[in-house]
Amino acid sequence: MNRKRHFPCGQTRREAVWKMGCGFTGIALADLLARESFFASSASAQEAHLSNPLAAKKGQLEPRAKSCIFLTMNGAPSQVDTFDYKPELEKYAGKQLPADKTYINSGGRKVGFLTPAWRPFRPGGESGLLVSDYFPKVRKHADKLCVLNSCHTDSHAHGSALVAMNTGKTQIGRPSLGSWAVYGLGTENESLPGYVVMLDKRGGPISGQPNWASGFMPATYSGTLFRPSGDPILDLNGPSHISRKAQREQLDLLAELNQKHLEDRRGGRDLAARIDSYELAYRMQSATPEAVDLSDETSETLDMYGVGKQPTDEYGRNCLIARRLVERGVRFIQLYSGGGHLEETWDAHAGIESNHGQHAPEVDQPIAALLTDLERRSLLDDTLVIWGGEFGRMPFSEGKNAPGRNHNPYGFSMWMAGGGVRGGMNYGQTDELGFEAVENKVHLHDLHATILHIMGLDHELLTYFHQGRQESLTDVHGHVVHDILA
Amino acid sequence: MTECEKSQASEYIWQTTPPSLPAVPRFQSTMRESMCVRHVALGNRKSLLRGISAGGLCLVWALFGQMVQLMAQSTNQNAALAATDFETHVAPLLTKRCVECHQGANPSGGLLLTSRAGLVQGGDSGAAVDPQNPAASYLLERIMSGEMPPEIQGRSQALPDLEIKLIRQWIEGGVKWPADRKLDYFERTNDVRGGRDWWSLQPVVRPPVPLLKDKPQPDNPIDAFIRAALDEQGITPAPRADRRTLIRRLYYDLIGLPPSEAVISAFENDKDPEAWENLVDRLLQMPHYGERWARYWLDLARYADTSGYERDQEKPFAWKYRDWVVQAFNSDMPYNQFIIEQLAGDEIENRSEQSVIATGFLRLGTWNDEPNDRLDYQYERLEDLVHTTSSAFFGLTVKCARCHSHKFDAITQEDYYRMASAFWAGPLLTDGKQLGGPTAELLGFEEVLGWTDTGPKPKPLHLLKNGERDQPLDEVIPASLSSIPSLQRTFDSAPEGANTSHRRRQLAEWIADPKHPLTSRVLVNRLWQHHFGKAIVRTPNNFGFLADPPTHRDLLDWLAAEFDAGGRRMKAIHRLILTSQTWQQGTLHPRSSDLEKHDSTNRLWWRAERRRLDAETLRDALLAVTGEIDLKVGGVGFKATINPEALEGLSRKSTAWQASPAELQNRRSLYMYLKRGLLPPMMTTFDLSEPTLSCGQRDVTIVPTQALTLLNNRFVHDRSEHLAAVIRESAVGVAEQVRLAWNSVLQREPNAVELQRSIEHLAMQARAFSEPVGDAPSDENRELILQRTAAALVLRLMAANAVTSDGERHLVESVPDLSGHEHHATQAVSAARPTLVSDGIGGKPALHFEGTGQFMKLAGQVVSEQYCTMIGVVCDGNRSGHRTLLSNWNGRAGNSTSSLFLGLTAERTVRFSDAFGSAGEVSDRTKPFLLTAVNGSESATVFQNGRLLKSANQLLPRRLDTPWVMGQQGNINGEFWTGNVAEIRVYNRALSNLELRLVEKQLADQYGITLSTGEPPQPADNQTLALASLCHVLMNSNEFLFID
Repeated sequence: MNRKRHFPCGQTRREAVWKMGCGFTGIALADLLARESFFASSASAQEAHLSNPLAAKKGQLEPRAKSCIFLTMNGAPSQVDTFDYKPELEKYAGKQLPADKTYINSGGRKVGFLTPAWRPFRPGGESGLLVSDYFPKVRKHADKLCVLNSCHTDSHAHGSALVAMNTGKTQIGRPSLGSWAVYGLGTENESLPGYVVMLDKRGGPISGQPNWASGFMPATYSGTLFRPSGDPILDLNGPSHISRKAQREQLDLLAELNQKHLEDRRGGRDLAARIDSYELAYRMQSATPEAVDLSDETSETLDMYGVGKQPTDEYGRNCLIARRLVERGVRFIQLYSGGGHLEETWDAHAGIESNHGQHAPEVDQPIAALLTDLERRSLLDDTLVIWGGEFGRMPFSEGKNAPGRNHNPYGFSMWMAGGGVRGGMNYGQTDELGFEAVENKVHLHDLHATILHIMGLDHELLTYFHQGRQESLTDVHGHVVHDILA
Repeated sequence: MTECEKSQASEYIWQTTPPSLPAVPRFQSTMRESMCVRHVALGNRKSLLRGISAGGLCLVWALFGQMVQLMAQSTNQNAALAATDFETHVAPLLTKRCVECHQGANPSGGLLLTSRAGLVQGGDSGAAVDPQNPAASYLLERIMSGEMPPEIQGRSQALPDLEIKLIRQWIEGGVKWPADRKLDYFERTNDVRGGRDWWSLQPVVRPPVPLLKDKPQPDNPIDAFIRAALDEQGITPAPRADRRTLIRRLYYDLIGLPPSEAVISAFENDKDPEAWENLVDRLLQMPHYGERWARYWLDLARYADTSGYERDQEKPFAWKYRDWVVQAFNSDMPYNQFIIEQLAGDEIENRSEQSVIATGFLRLGTWNDEPNDRLDYQYERLEDLVHTTSSAFFGLTVKCARCHSHKFDAITQEDYYRMASAFWAGPLLTDGKQLGGPTAELLGFEEVLGWTDTGPKPKPLHLLKNGERDQPLDEVIPASLSSIPSLQRTFDSAPEGANTSHRRRQLAEWIADPKHPLTSRVLVNRLWQHHFGKAIVRTPNNFGFLADPPTHRDLLDWLAAEFDAGGRRMKAIHRLILTSQTWQQGTLHPRSSDLEKHDSTNRLWWRAERRRLDAETLRDALLAVTGEIDLKVGGVGFKATINPEALEGLSRKSTAWQASPAELQNRRSLYMYLKRGLLPPMMTTFDLSEPTLSCGQRDVTIVPTQALTLLNNRFVHDRSEHLAAVIRESAVGVAEQVRLAWNSVLQREPNAVELQRSIEHLAMQARAFSEPVGDAPSDENRELILQRTAAALVLRLMAANAVTSDGERHLVESVPDLSGHEHHATQAVSAARPTLVSDGIGGKPALHFEGTGQFMKLAGQVVSEQYCTMIGVVCDGNRSGHRTLLSNWNGRAGNSTSSLFLGLTAERTVRFSDAFGSAGEVSDRTKPFLLTAVNGSESATVFQNGRLLKSANQLLPRRLDTPWVMGQQGNINGEFWTGNVAEIRVYNRALSNLELRLVEKQLADQYGITLSTGEPPQPADNQTLALASLCHVLMNSNEFLFID
């Protein structure tokens, strides 16, 4: 079998260890370890390291950001009403899209007339970056924002487009961006999940779980849903009659039984790993609620995020928790704004003003506070903040005087801040109508490549061998957008 | 999620060839080219070394391998200098380095390098070789400059000097190339790819059973193969496991359920020399055998009950396919029939409803009703069908050839489309109504999830350049794969009068052909894998170039031949394996520590593998050891109870998941409904396969979330509490209770130490359970607790504070919310106002509701959390019909299914939302009482005067963000409350039992209500809970989760 020796595609012993499911806390998958005579004979110190492959590790590149907060505007905000200023729309208002621009009419909706932005744009910061009045507070951070105006994606349908934004492909079943990040980098705090997802209380995104699943990687790389209050994760606490003390006794007895069991089966790494996992679980029971407990935050901070006030309470809490998670070493955090369906999300068919007028104020102040807070705590340089939806919206209405806009995968805006990204800039352009990306186009693969790059991962080298193929987030595509890096 | 197809570097220390060079650490490697990219990586040594950074030891390994490689090269070099022979030197070189691009109808640069004629003819840039002046040949120039082969992703693929020298010598020697010799990309295996001479593509030839030297020949040929290899290394297998271990292992292996303690004892004492064989046969006859083994096949068939994506529609009657598989295993269906019915059950002569149900195999993939482009999407569906079929039945990754010929295996791009043509005739383009399948009319059966062609003559299928639909090349002639030339055949067109194309049938027949080299090998490998925990070829869905080499190829072939000889029936192979000494070894070996160093992955099978229970077996075992398991076989699946927190991932929270009734919740896990958008969290935590792609081998992970699940999940506590209650009923003495607990959970007696420690545990836990949240807290404590509860108070309405509109009728205009949350109650319409009675309850004022349309609106969203507590101080007006005390409304009639409310029914029972529609019967309801309802993480519970009325599963998630009312069911503007209400309190969380008791005591004192001294609110006494705690620990033990 020498022939495959120097062939670079087969799975390696190292890879086997990498792939050991080591969930968010990283316990060795002893079954795999045991296959490695190499490890079996190595020093125990090294074993200890290797038995925790989700311990923080370096990527292939010098990282600009240690953590990433992805602010997902589920349902797709309209670019021409938020971050992509198109004065020409005023000029062509009421006209139809030129015939040479073809597109998929999602949902068979009516095709209406070009419609200017529903709220005015104003310059922000020293850069004078244009942001509309839907985001007056985020605008104050204009000098931190790198607005990507030329994003485009592969689907016009929410379900598959959001899955693509999260996993790179419109088909479900692949690992999500956060899974790739923790697969490649591990996490800094083993008592907390490395990849946390917080949903909108109105509901999860359509297509559900596959948006944060680990696809063909072990389930332990998948995102962990976090609730903003009470028990943040599933099964964190048992029935109320079992006090901490009573549980300690359970764990003590369990450890005794398991230890005896192990003595009769010397060298059982799987058994030993499982013994450890119980102690780690015990620690998580206190570490996890602590991470979401806002009682030690000052009232100034709470007010800044809009906690306790409407309509900012929910997203404010989530943003504040995101900051706390970043402080505690969580690698990847995704906060959904909008959940459920249609107008519960940013899916503004019924009206931009009615929809964005509802959702933007829910997130504007919390996001602005997050940027302020990260900056003043010197976390912003190490944290990449990304804002955006699964696609954008059409520059035209859905009928005469209709106030909403249909889906648009051809051109939309996202922004990044922190993490060594240049601020106060627009990158790429859509055409004069804001319909499709035309200059310095950023496909979602490029976006993913860039995010991984910022986190210290080379999207071409970060691969996972599955069913005869080295799989990666960007497949054979994707280019890092170097121009936006400081 | 799957561990499918991991290819391990092979490494057994005693192999005669040098140890293999570890492939480059995946992470730092420059492996991009090995994916679907334009070029194949050429094993560039430099890139290999570049790729190694971290891990010094890896580097050492790499260097060692490098040396081996260099030694090999120097041998070659000597040969090369002697003479350059086309067949020995040049043909392999051209095939490996050049032919991938310079072949076929559109060779790169117009240069064809598969024949001498092509070479001589040259390409777009003119002549490739110049016999007159060989050194000036263009081909040589390009190679020497490093331009050819072209770089990959910026990395040079320049040929090593030796190879350049060979080419030069060959050109200088006159470009000798036999006239009729055509090079073929896949003609032979080289060091970068497998050819048609790859081992797994060669016919299965039954190898002779090895004869052991100086040892008695084992009865079971499996043992002869294993022993022969062990003998070579001077290793004896591990001793046979004891009978207790064996029977437990066998039960889990064959039926996925533990044997009872009694069954174990009976077997241990069975003197019959055939006891083991009889036991194996008995289990193979059980319906549970099929349930256990069908699950492995369902992983391969990517089985789920829904389609995935936004709407995640149910795949109706998918369960019939599941039952078909179970039945196929139980009836020991010949494997060929199993293949043919799943791929072409609609095309066979004896087509039946069952054979059409079998074609559900082709319907189980994910299905998107809203693809970006329907025409493109049919090619995605083709890939799913090709991939699932090829992985499951013959272990090749044919899908890799969708855009170009396979990088590693002898599968051309044309092969991909040849195989795809079998599915091309199907309903790939159907609209949403058919959920991606044929109409019932076309299928010929109602209520079947099956597959059939839309007609006998499908539209042409073209090869697609780079797999892109807008770049069609030649039309494809439907055929089998060219990978196995001896079996290659084109598919005939459909016979006269046929309704289908008959291509799938021909594909199925090709797979089932007795001479097909992969079919039996792949299947017996799977059987071995599930019996032993690891397979002979440890990449069960991939037998190609990147596969893990077989640990015992001769054994694999012998098993395949045996399987064929027996008419391809699986039970015979099960028997063969289970009666082998190899299977019956212990997991421990006297020389373990030594052997672990040499063969840590147990490739020589010198011991049995200890195995962690998989998700289904774990859940089934929990239900089995408590005696609760429902062993009903087959039928519609059940929807498991899922924590409401987990439901938040769904876009339609309240309607998307309705758990099946409690009486179905104890069925085997095989029958658990699998919704692609919401796989049961407990199951995925324990590595349930992700049902998107065919999965041949699940991950086995050990992570703390599993510990959290087994420690805290309500399902597990229900099991331990149930078992404790059962034991307490049947055994009085503590020691006896402990013994029963051990016997039930671990099927053995505790030893003296264990018994003693368990008894201690019971005492400690009983004490602990009476302590912390127990009765009679100190005054100080009481104050603290009351303060804590006050923090969660979000609504407090007291009739004593009501504002009335007139002095005459005391119509209540508003009641202020005293909680500070400003959910003030108001009623603007005077006819709808309740009246204030001064001596309403316990001498205190109360609002009186006539039941004729009186209610009050509350301001804002009262409850924002699913877990909450409601307490009312009320009495009932004794009218008939439903009446609601507190409710939110969801806008329109009929939405009561998602609102939260508390009230009474016509039958005097309490209603706590419709999901808990009969929450116990109140007594003496015309007298004032406290009505308390709690929705908590464990359960929804209702109390009257502190007495537990009823407890049930927690409520399904409610929609809470709509307006709230007091005194009616808001959704229907009816069900008006009758009677008095003195006070209402709502807390934004589930109060603990102790907190409840304190709050209720406070209210009872205030309103002169006597709390019931009846049953304690706790579901079980502390002794039982202590015993449950012991059971719980045992269920969490490694001894329970791992099978020796």
